[in-house]
Amino acid sequence: MPIPGLHLTQIGSGDFLLDPSKSLNISERDRLIVSIVEYLLRVRAERLYYDLSDLALIDQVYYAWLDALARAAQAVNVRMICIRMQPTAAFALSKFLHKMPVFQTALEIQGR
Amino acid sequence: MTADNTLSEKEKALFELKVGNIASYLEVPGQKYFCGDNRLMDNEELADLTREFESLVVSLLGSENPKNMDSTELQAMKAFFGNLSHRILMRGGHVEDVVRYTQTLQLALIEALEKTSGIAFRQSRSVLLYFTNIFYELIMAVFRTYLDEREHTLQAQQDEIRETATPITEIWDGVLTLPIIGTLDSSRTMLVMEALLNRIAKDHAKAVVMDLTGVKNIDSQVSHHLIQMVRAVQLMGSDAIVTGIHPEIARALVSLNIDFNNITTRASMSDGLKEAFRRMGITVSH
Repeated sequence: MPIPGLHLTQIGSGDFLLDPSKSLNISERDRLIVSIVEYLLRVRAERLYYDLSDLALIDQVYYAWLDALARAAQAVNVRMICIRMQPTAAFALSKFLHKMPVFQTALEIQGR
Repeated sequence: MTADNTLSEKEKALFELKVGNIASYLEVPGQKYFCGDNRLMDNEELADLTREFESLVVSLLGSENPKNMDSTELQAMKAFFGNLSHRILMRGGHVEDVVRYTQTLQLALIEALEKTSGIAFRQSRSVLLYFTNIFYELIMAVFRTYLDEREHTLQAQQDEIRETATPITEIWDGVLTLPIIGTLDSSRTMLVMEALLNRIAKDHAKAVVMDLTGVKNIDSQVSHHLIQMVRAVQLMGSDAIVTGIHPEIARALVSLNIDFNNITTRASMSDGLKEAFRRMGITVSH
């Protein structure tokens, strides 16, 4: 069943790519997290790559969404890795973060 | 601003005067301060300059209200002195030369007007006061230009120092080095951070070695900026390795309660590079 506002694609054994679209409605955070975690459990995911390449800015609301999703994924033993963060987004995020987030970050999907 | 409109006899005579043939008197201060050994101007240029000043004097004294300090004639004269100041400074002259020239020109002008008209202007307090007020404005114009030039030069020097003091180099495929030299202030940290993050995105740098050997002191605000810079590098998915922290800086960071957890530090740039290579699986043999 497709989840509105995002695409989940398998990119390797246990690896999945979450590609958010502009229509992603993070105000429905709880419903989205349940749907994503259900999917991750069903496909036996190990790593979830969250593509941030289309996001020029990450504000506190969006960060809260990433944080909540990463924690939920962690609860079902899936590691969330945010990839392709733009310099402007990293700059904005670093201004209000006081410690490193629960999710990992990487320039690219590992191995590419 | 309009000055008192009551005119003394000498002032009336001054403003009704048909000024002309005073250039030879007005050239004398220029010869003294700009020509000869000073080599700031040749005789031909000085002659042009003097003629222009003479025509400005004619316009000012013949204007509707010569005592109006906001008149376009006086503004034109101020612009003339501003340009002169700019020209002299660009040629290596000093602001003192222009100020002394302007002061001497005031005396030369009054003397020239007196000699060509036969009226004893130097005996009139109101005429002397009038010229003092005018030349005060002209000297202010000279100083304004000097200060603008100085500010412009300082800004250009600061920009140049900033550019050269933060060279971001790709020392190996995917490894960037950033030696930070001098004092880190907020605006410089922001510039460095912007340049560094863009470079990480462009080069897909996996590791950044930030060397603080050249940083001699640090305050609370800057240390937070530094941590912010490290965090931004990590958020982009690169490894940040901070090297060359002086004992004094380490002590300052402790007293500022800066958390260095999750930040990789090494004693020297060389150790930092080794760590970067190790993380990337690169072996360097002697």
